[in-house]
Amino acid sequence: MNEFNLSFRSDVPREKDFDKGVLYDIAIIGAGPGGLTAAIYAGRSRLNTIVLEKVSLGGLIIVSDWVENFPGFPDGISGEELGERFRKQAEKFVGKIILNEVMNIRKENNQFYLNTEKGEIRAKSVILSTGSEPVKLPVPEEEKFRGKGISYCATCDAAFFKDKTVCVIGGGDTALHEAIYLSKFARRVILLHRRSELRAAKMLQEELFANPKVELKLNSIPVNVLGDKKVEEIVIENVQTHQKEALQVDGIFGAIGEKPNIDLVKNLVELTEKGFIKTDVNKETSLKGLFAVGDVTDAPLKQVVTACADGAIAVTSVEQYIKNLER
Amino acid sequence: MEKLLKENDETYVRQLFEQNLKDPVELVLFLEKDGGDRLNQFNEQYHQYTEEIAKEISALSDRIKLTIYKGDLEKEKEYGVKNISALFIEGKNTSKNVVYYGMPSGHEFSSILEDIVDVSKGETDLNAKIKEAVKRISSNVEIFVFVTPTCPYCPKAVRTAHQFAMENKLINGVMVEANEFPEWSEKYSVYTVPKIVINKKVQFEGAVSEDVFLNSIYEALGIKLTF
Repeated sequence: MNEFNLSFRSDVPREKDFDKGVLYDIAIIGAGPGGLTAAIYAGRSRLNTIVLEKVSLGGLIIVSDWVENFPGFPDGISGEELGERFRKQAEKFVGKIILNEVMNIRKENNQFYLNTEKGEIRAKSVILSTGSEPVKLPVPEEEKFRGKGISYCATCDAAFFKDKTVCVIGGGDTALHEAIYLSKFARRVILLHRRSELRAAKMLQEELFANPKVELKLNSIPVNVLGDKKVEEIVIENVQTHQKEALQVDGIFGAIGEKPNIDLVKNLVELTEKGFIKTDVNKETSLKGLFAVGDVTDAPLKQVVTACADGAIAVTSVEQYIKNLER
Repeated sequence: MEKLLKENDETYVRQLFEQNLKDPVELVLFLEKDGGDRLNQFNEQYHQYTEEIAKEISALSDRIKLTIYKGDLEKEKEYGVKNISALFIEGKNTSKNVVYYGMPSGHEFSSILEDIVDVSKGETDLNAKIKEAVKRISSNVEIFVFVTPTCPYCPKAVRTAHQFAMENKLINGVMVEANEFPEWSEKYSVYTVPKIVINKKVQFEGAVSEDVFLNSIYEALGIKLTF
């Protein structure tokens, strides 16, 4: 998005927008593509639904500059606008989405109790679509320099690196998107990847290779970040030759993978070794009545289109679950 | 200048104001005079947008009044203006303490709409426990929230600072558009947004929950949290 655009996060959510006495059919936690698609399907099934979001409507996709692989948009669409369209469509069927953070969840007598910033919410079922967040860079100085040159959101922070040198770490779609976006601001972009080949979609790779501002450092990992008050140098190591090299950089953007946001349920459901939520084909977790969709799950592919599909499947499963409860 | 709000967005905002505004709200905008000393090629391009946004918003409800001061040093002193442009949202629960330095555009456009509604209603939707803890603060607190218009996590931090300000007149809730004020951004080493600086000493980054935010204010005041 352009800095001069005017963006609408939501209607003004008020406390009275949710009725504390009500037992909802579904509480959807997280308003990304998966949660919002679930909301569309739930609303159309006339299930009494509440959607809760803690920070920003639309999910992680809204920090993507441009999305070219979501069907229906042959010329591509900005992540921001796609998220906005999901929100509008969801609100058409379920009403306003509430900006409210859920602090914890418990299940008693086939009912879920959500303790939130703005009071308790009860629901027969929960669809968890809390997504993921970037994995922190494995360098000892990460904490020291986070916010002082180490960043995980190019859309947010690119402006601070105008005409500077930045290093992007990672070799997947996200890393290449970030590198290409940053090249619009920075003088020079170094892409660092630990393997000998990039993992990103071939089309993105072609775009990256054609970008004169971007240079590649393959087979390399970051080992240290140096600087006084802010990032000044990154020390990298070639994994084959074990040779170290110091590069002068002003900023470092991490894109080495995603960590699922599971704090709410980590003691309630079964997780994979990497911490993602195990789900069955119906998107149900090991706790009956608790469903999970999108990036927070163990799905083999994490894309907008797969999160949306998960959301639709989960609602169908919820309908069956509620029917069984009432039997 | 071409209108910034599209027609259907205008309809949306007009409806939002119709349904939610109660008491009058005044937007007080401080700009530099045409050709004034404090204008440079850099900030001039932003000022016209800020002025346009304020004008378009205030045209959408008769309960919103817009006052613009250009180069009025006396008034700037009265409001404690620290930089240009500055936009204050004034109503019965504020006291020149809900401020935007720079454009409220991009994702911050929704912050200003929500602020106007809160100020007009004279109440925020912070939960009772947080409200009470905010009201108990008895010394001056200045919260700077650095943002960029393209940051979707920033409105949460801006709104929390502004809502705290609405609950307690000793709290000054200040949004700073980091691109527009490079000296401030440099002074406080802003390389990531949202970045929050409280009383120039406690700093943190990210859109945190209201109680964590409040903790940091207590920390800046040297008080052990008791709420």
